[in-house]
Amino acid sequence: MNPGSRVLNIALLLLVSFIAGSAERLTVYTVNYPLAYFAQRIGGEHINVVFPVPAGVDPAFWQPDVRDITAFQQADLVLLNGARYAKWIERASLPRRRLVDTSAAFRDAYINVSETVAHQHGPGGVHSHAGTAFTTWLDFSQAIEQARAIKLALEKMLPQYSDVFTRNFSSLERELGSLDQRIMAIVSQDRDKVFVASHPVYQYLTRRYNINLETVMWEPEVVPDQAQWQSMQQLLRSHKAKWMIWEGEPHDQSVKRLNASGINSLVFDPGANAPEKGDFISLMNRNIMELEKAYRE
Amino acid sequence: MTSSFYIAWHYVIFNRVRSVTLVACITLIAFLPFALQLLLAESQQLLQSRATSTPLLLGARGSALDLVMNSLYFDDEVPERISMLAADEIADTGLGYAIPLYVRFLARNYPIVATSIDYFDFRGLAIADGRMFTLLGESVIGADVAEDYGLAPGDSIVSSPETLFDLAGIYPLKMTITGVLERSHTPDDRAVFVDLKTAWVIEGLGHGHEDLGKTNDSSVILKRTEDKVIANAKLLQYTQITTDNIDSFHFHGDASVYPVTAVLAVPHDAKSATLLRGRYLDNTQYHIVRPTEVIEGLLESIFRIKTVIDSVIAIVGLATVLAIILVFALSVRLRQRELSTIFKLGCSRMTAVKLIAAEIAFIVLASSVISTGLLAIIGANAETLVRMLIFR
Amino acid sequence: MIDIEALEFHYPQGEFSLSIPHMVVAQGEKVAVIGPSGSGKTTLLNLIAGISKPHQGKVAVADQTVSSLSDAKRRDFRITRIGFVFQDFELLDYLNVLDNILHPYRITHALNLNSEVPQRAIALADELGIGDKLKRFSAELSQGEKQRAAICRALLPQPQLILADEPTGNLDPRNKGRILDLLFENVASSNATLLAVTHDHELLPRFDRVIDFLDFRNEAVA
Repeated sequence: MNPGSRVLNIALLLLVSFIAGSAERLTVYTVNYPLAYFAQRIGGEHINVVFPVPAGVDPAFWQPDVRDITAFQQADLVLLNGARYAKWIERASLPRRRLVDTSAAFRDAYINVSETVAHQHGPGGVHSHAGTAFTTWLDFSQAIEQARAIKLALEKMLPQYSDVFTRNFSSLERELGSLDQRIMAIVSQDRDKVFVASHPVYQYLTRRYNINLETVMWEPEVVPDQAQWQSMQQLLRSHKAKWMIWEGEPHDQSVKRLNASGINSLVFDPGANAPEKGDFISLMNRNIMELEKAYRE
Repeated sequence: MTSSFYIAWHYVIFNRVRSVTLVACITLIAFLPFALQLLLAESQQLLQSRATSTPLLLGARGSALDLVMNSLYFDDEVPERISMLAADEIADTGLGYAIPLYVRFLARNYPIVATSIDYFDFRGLAIADGRMFTLLGESVIGADVAEDYGLAPGDSIVSSPETLFDLAGIYPLKMTITGVLERSHTPDDRAVFVDLKTAWVIEGLGHGHEDLGKTNDSSVILKRTEDKVIANAKLLQYTQITTDNIDSFHFHGDASVYPVTAVLAVPHDAKSATLLRGRYLDNTQYHIVRPTEVIEGLLESIFRIKTVIDSVIAIVGLATVLAIILVFALSVRLRQRELSTIFKLGCSRMTAVKLIAAEIAFIVLASSVISTGLLAIIGANAETLVRMLIFR
Repeated sequence: MIDIEALEFHYPQGEFSLSIPHMVVAQGEKVAVIGPSGSGKTTLLNLIAGISKPHQGKVAVADQTVSSLSDAKRRDFRITRIGFVFQDFELLDYLNVLDNILHPYRITHALNLNSEVPQRAIALADELGIGDKLKRFSAELSQGEKQRAAICRALLPQPQLILADEPTGNLDPRNKGRILDLLFENVASSNATLLAVTHDHELLPRFDRVIDFLDFRNEAVA
């Protein structure tokens, strides 16, 4: 084969794959990173996943502008987390027909929270966690259900790739299942382990894996003030935690001061936004390894 | 022959009153049935095209006609409300998708059609100017609304209070217009579209809170203490959702039971449609109707009335024709002297007949021209006329 | 110009009958016909003009036996050869004076309404003193003006024979002379023959000859 015809062949191949691809590639918008990751894993090359929330912003409290919402309106599929995740959805006009509530299957298992203190951290503005707990995917059995909802939605729109989606979903389901099993195994080592969490985002995690955990209202990047320390001391009197779970890398001072009180720190990043390195699975593996630290002593 | 027309023309002009009366009679009798036919064809077209493009409609049990007229033509007879659950129910069947509609409020006498943006895809409505509404408090208006009030994207439109003294304290909502739809020659041209949530804000189910600490209108504040401000109900003349206050807007209770007037059900195929209808056969709360069937029923009644009107017109027409024949017969007799003059001047009987025929031709021509003109006017405005006659 | 032999005529209803054994009018003659009312003067004019047809006898005009022609031929002959000034003008109220004058051209193919005819009509109307009334309708005209219009219409096709039925009957004395002058002038200039029915005995001296209807009771008029 001479070089000229090879170039031609490659060009043809590219052209064919471009036409085939562009004709059927669905644009899928998601409201958080886990859904984007699941969709990408299941849909593969047949879909174009867009997760428009900028890095560093909590997608739950993201404020999209008109252009962002317009992009959501024009998507072929919009994946919602459900459980009243992402407040902006309540005020935006989205195409109902193309919305998929990925947690609809376990709608009855939502956790209601009554904590109403508003607080501020990061560029998301003042917010509160009152209402429904929404970090649904930290219960990996629920994460599987959310992935399944994505798979069903994709199948409905691209039935010709049903086999591919089923295959991709099975592999994802296995991986999520193994995460589930690993946490189960870890926590079963010591049922009496007690934790404090910096932020109320672990409701589904603690329910699923039966972790004894109380929550304060600390920010990883902010050193707690005296009042916060005092309420922590108050809490520790009845709740003898040895470990503090942070949703992000904590401030050195906080870590040191906790250490002085005999409390170790570990990071369990919920992964609502995309991790700086790795993907959802590797992030969760890191989280589990962190959690293991608490059980290794 | 030109001479005959010349003479006949002068005769017609000279006897204006007689000619005008004749022309008026013939015009009316020629025009009426055609105009009626035109208007009926238009209303049939208008009603049917909309109905056939709307597969199924779900609403509270009650008048199917009210449901269809409200949901398809935005008639102001508001059917009993149902809850959003109905839309979810349809979507959950997997037999099709659902577009909820809440057609209850008005803005500047145009219906506010609250729906989901799927409606625009479903009806094939495109934005001619501006963009689709994206947030609470935004609206997209039909071409006629824009034209009537000279509204463009960036302007705003205020919802009308339902009653003069709204005891529930629902203030009109000032909505920003983000887009104007392309003309579709359907009732969509005459509607103000908003998101369902915006309608619920109008209804008072969702609301925001004005920052009272910043208000300076003393008539609003009842009491101001160090940390508390008590305001009376006269806080605002109208509510407006802005980028500053949108975050304070929230909904109380479970949004899935919020009211809508109808749910437009779009089944995937004929089989799904049948299955979907079957599911609601015995439902005591809802009924699902096929708009074509309802409209056919309506058209049948209209055409029954038309048959009666047709026969009346036929009788009146016959009477008029006879009267016109009589008028010509009498005028020939009245013109005996004139005829004898022209015979003396050398006119043949044939020419005399030609003269009279030319006169009739002028009268009939004038009537046809006027009738055609009137029909053209009716034709050009048929849509508006029919809308005035049939809807509200 | 006119030659009547053994003419017999009566109307279908009524007792009136007319019989003229013999009557001749020469080319260029100006003849007045007198007689009591109801003696058949107008009927005679109608018979000569071919408007009516005799039951017996012969009516010839310019060597053409009018009475034996078909209806259509008789009509064409009348239109082209005979000018008729009717007793009550016979103007059409819905046409203006000019259109009334041109009317015969418009209702028959025997006369050809070419571009020269209206010019002649205007010139003739000027001559007859109604040049400024051409756009008027008959209701706006005085009796004299109506008569001038009627005469104008009769003269326009340049007939060889002019029949006039009481041409001055409705006119005041001053007008009578004027109208008759005009009629005579035109008749003379075109070398036509004039047969006029009149009651007006003052005018009789101006005619070449007078035919009295009473004479027909016994003998022919030569």
